[in-house]
This record gives sequence, C-alpha cells and structure tokens, in this order.
Amino acid sequence: MELKKTSLYHEHIQLKAKMAPFAGFDMPLQYSSVKEEVFAVRRNCGMFDVSHMGEFFVTGKDALKFVDNFMTNDFINAGPNKAVYSPICRENGTVVDDHISYKIHDQKILICVNASNMEKDWNWLSKNVGKFDCKLENKSDDYSLIALQGPKSDAILKKIHLLPPGDFPYYSVKESERNNYKYIISKTGYTGEDGVEIFCSHDFAKILWKEFLQEGVVPCGLASRDVLRLEVCFPLYGHELNDEVTPLDSALKWTVKMDKANFIGKNALANYSPRYNLVKLSIEKGIPRAGYSILDSNNNNIGVVTSGGYSPVLERGIALAHIEKDRFPKNKLFKIQIRDKMYDTEYHLKPFVVGGHK
Amino acid sequence: MAHEIKPNLKYTDDHEWALLEGDVLTFGITDFAQSSLGDIVFVEFPEIGSMLEKGNPCGVIESIKSVNDLFSPASGEVLEVNENVSDSPENINQNAFGSWLVKIKITNKTEFDQLMNANDYKVHCEKIS
Repeated sequence: MELKKTSLYHEHIQLKAKMAPFAGFDMPLQYSSVKEEVFAVRRNCGMFDVSHMGEFFVTGKDALKFVDNFMTNDFINAGPNKAVYSPICRENGTVVDDHISYKIHDQKILICVNASNMEKDWNWLSKNVGKFDCKLENKSDDYSLIALQGPKSDAILKKIHLLPPGDFPYYSVKESERNNYKYIISKTGYTGEDGVEIFCSHDFAKILWKEFLQEGVVPCGLASRDVLRLEVCFPLYGHELNDEVTPLDSALKWTVKMDKANFIGKNALANYSPRYNLVKLSIEKGIPRAGYSILDSNNNNIGVVTSGGYSPVLERGIALAHIEKDRFPKNKLFKIQIRDKMYDTEYHLKPFVVGGHK
Repeated sequence: MAHEIKPNLKYTDDHEWALLEGDVLTFGITDFAQSSLGDIVFVEFPEIGSMLEKGNPCGVIESIKSVNDLFSPASGEVLEVNENVSDSPENINQNAFGSWLVKIKITNKTEFDQLMNANDYKVHCEKIS
C-alpha cells in the first residue's frame, strides 16, 4: 500500500529529513541529529509535523456527555476551553487508546487520537455514539497538526501573532484566526516542555512551517519526539498501553475517576487488581530497549521493558518497565538483561527529566 | 550522502574499515556507517583474548534509534579494544576513521587481501545510498 503524505511532506524532503513509514504515513524520523533535536526542544524551540494524528469532532447537544462517557478521566468538570488527557477503555477495562479531548465549547469537542489506532478508535466511538444526541465526524484528512515545543515557543508565537488573547495556561485550547486562516491552538504537547499544538488547514500549516523556520525553530522528527516523551515518562500506546492492559497497570490511576457517575469500563476497573507496576529505571552504560527482560537481585525474571532508550539530558540509558505485581521486589533492586549481560539499574520515583511546561 | 573514504584502508560489505600492520589488524566502522546510524551512544566490545571469525558479529554499536552488530573483517584473537570510544561513543560520529574499535592478531592474511579496496567500497556505498 502506498504511504500517505502529510501537507508538509515536501518541506521534509527539502530539509533532507530521514523519512520512515509510521502508521501508514511517510514521516520524518530525524533531520539533523536526534540529540540536537532533543536539546533544541529542551533549551530553545523545536517543531514537529504530527499531521498523521487523527482528529475527530463531536458537535451537538450531548457532545460533552458522550465524550465524558467514553473517557476514564473527568471531562464534564474540566473548565471551558480545557484539554483533558485520558485513556479510552472497553467495558472490561482494557485500553482502546489514549488521547486528548479539547473542549472548544460544550457543543464542539475535538478528539485527537493516535494515528496507529485511528480506525480502531473510530469504530469504537462510532459504536458508542448512537445513544447520544450529537454528531461524530472524522476530519483527519482536513487537518494538519504542528507541535511547537520548547521554552522559547511562547515568545515566537507572540512575535508572529499566533497566541490567542488573554490567559493561556497549560492544557487550555482556543479557536483563533489570523489573516482569515482559522486554527485551533492548545497548550499541549508530548515533550513536557512549554509549547502548543496547532490544528489547521494544510495551506496554513505550510505557511506556519516556513514562518517557524525563519524564526530559527529547529525541525524535529519522530525519533526525538519519542526520546522527549520517554524522558518525561509519558506513556505511548503499543508500549505502556495496549489492548491487554488497563490504565491501572501503567501508572495512570490519576486518569481514572471512579467518582464519576459512569464511564465505559468503570465497573471492571472498580474491581480490578492490577497485574503490573510501571517502574522508571536508568543505567549508566548500555541502552535498554523495549522487550528486554527485568530481573530481581536473584536473577528471577520479573518483568519487561515497555519503552527504552538513551536520554541525551541524563546521558544514561532509561527505561519504563512493567513489573509483575506479585513479583515486585521489596528491595527495589532491578536488573536489565541486555543480550547476555545483566546491568544494575537505578530506580527512579520521579520522571527522568522535569519539563519546563507552565 | 557525502562521506569520507580513506584510500589506504580496506573495507567490508558491512561498513567496517581495516588496517593491517604486521599481523595486527585494526578495525572500526566507516564514515558512511556512522552517518547512517546517527548519534552513537553505546559500544559493546568482544572480550580480550576471544577468537573472532571473519564476518561474524563480535560487538554492538548502538545509536539512539537502533542496535547494530559489529562484524569482524577477519579471523583472529582480540588483542585490545578502544576504551576511549567506550567512554565517549560520540567520537565515532566525529571521526570514524580516527576511532578504532578492535585490534586482533590476524590468523590468515589472505582474509585481509580479500577485503574491498577504497574504490570498490566507494562503488558499494553508491549502490546503497
């Protein structure tokens, strides 16, 4: 099957990006070097073409109720113009996907889902929308999405008149307009840094990409995006989350609001005892990779790395790992097996890197 | 992809360079290899004293995104590995030909003679880039 191209495909080719297939799209993996791109986002400003992600819109009287019902997190009580991160669960508590819903207003909600799960999400939400008085539409093909991330993003947005007027705190969203180009802008991202995501037409995306380049913003690919999210310990579907686990298996209890009147999966999750603890581990030398085994101090196999890699900020190998709950070692000593060697790890209670988001 | 090839070295299909001095063969990875791998962040060497076989994996080079085998250009006993590179793997990105990885005592010099010369290696790289 031929790979899909985003509206910014030709910009990526012009910038000599290393391209790779991802979720059916030909996407930029890296432009310069992954390390340089990571540091650009942590210290200055970087941008990502994430137009492959899915955009669904819910409009109508029951929009709010519908969204609140399919997510485990609380959407009804989130303020106006707020974005909410949440898993989407099945009745049995397993995770269909994780996503962000954006409350543009009570009767217009943007649902942004992982590209790799778009069809599955669409089928699931379509199946559940019937009993609500609202319309669900897939507008993924109409929207481009650029994430501008890093401590200098705010100043750049002000300079080119993209920031909406008034307060614009973390996890808020607004509809805005510049020179007759409409866009949706949110204070969200996948890096832990200050920054925004801009949902807009393909034409406006091409204009913005060029303006950002002129402002010295560093184009960043999916490889650095993955490193950035792992450093701040954000989960990734297909790694920490999948069709077999619940949010409670992956340190996402904070997103499951059992005091809500109802949501899909509530009954199952109320009675569920998690199979796994998700732990954060680092090693001085060696790079943990997804699928590597975790051993206790007696070399018993007790878990598996869900995401692993190298942190340019820590200059260490870092990993998130599922540890079987009933084999969790009291001494909190974990070893990672890399090929035929065992590596001692440091056990982290906090994320490896604290992002600068406001 | 612009990359450097040294005329005085021999090369493998898998993008190792090799230099023979007496019966000591020194090898590393080429500029082409480091450039395709990107940021190199970890190197795993063979044990000193172990016997390597031509064309077999004898170590690992890891970039941020990928795990890649290092192949021995010839058979022989491992004499020395470059600990500096182990401490600073990014040296390979900065200077691939200046960052040797392994020295072996070569068993059979004809294995070295069979490696590609610089011209053949250049053609080999052009074919895949």
